[in-house]
Amino acid sequence: MINYVAALVLGAAFGFSLNKAGLTKYQKIVNVFRLNDMAVLKFMMTALVVAMIGLYGLRGLGLITFPVVPATYIVGNLVGGLIFGVGMALTGY
Amino acid sequence: MNWLKQQLSKELWSPYAAGILLGIVGILTVLIANSLLGASGGFENLAGYIGKAIQPNNMYFNFVMPTGITWGVILLVGVFFGGMIGAASSGTLMWGKKGSANPDAQWKRVFGPQVWKRWLLAFFGAIILEYAAGIAGGCTSGLAISGGMLLAPAAFLFILGMFASGILTALIIYRKNY
Repeated sequence: MINYVAALVLGAAFGFSLNKAGLTKYQKIVNVFRLNDMAVLKFMMTALVVAMIGLYGLRGLGLITFPVVPATYIVGNLVGGLIFGVGMALTGY
Repeated sequence: MNWLKQQLSKELWSPYAAGILLGIVGILTVLIANSLLGASGGFENLAGYIGKAIQPNNMYFNFVMPTGITWGVILLVGVFFGGMIGAASSGTLMWGKKGSANPDAQWKRVFGPQVWKRWLLAFFGAIILEYAAGIAGGCTSGLAISGGMLLAPAAFLFILGMFASGILTALIIYRKNY
């Protein structure tokens, strides 16, 4: 139950940050592929860096254990990414 | 307090500021729920009900992506309302307003103003997205961002592929105007 409340609140914060970064707009997503608006990359990479520092710091202190890390299977990840890019550039989602 | 109000009513933040917020959300997700911020998984958990109705012994929906009201599904509900709150806070919520079915000026320049075109492309594009997320094991949020912050190699392979084909697709769509 507590997990569901957490999911709702965290999801809302997630959606809020996406909206404020402009990622809910078609042009923002497509323009990163046209290489003339790097907002998506700035947003993603900032989030990555902040979360990496926090998560590895907390794990170092022994406060958390990592959840199941997405599996690495080179062909699947790459081919999936390649198809995904087509859809992303087409729809802008 | 006034400063906070002013920031909340801005339509766009600096992507760095929004990124920091998402980073904190990512940390809290692991801390509180020991989960990741996946978006595509929730859709698969729901679509699995249709899949299983047609083919009850389907391996994928029984073992890889079991059906159910999972963490991912609830998260999606939260994302929906969070996005709405974000838009409402800056007064840009388009719900029920004129032109909300196809609001983007750049999209209209490239494909035309027809609403059905937008919806058709969104529908088939989303099938491509979800199919690809199924192959790769996640989408931009669940694999690239959530996996990336755990330094999973899969995430970086995915980002590589995504940008390679995304740039190529954009080149084809925009041709001279790239």
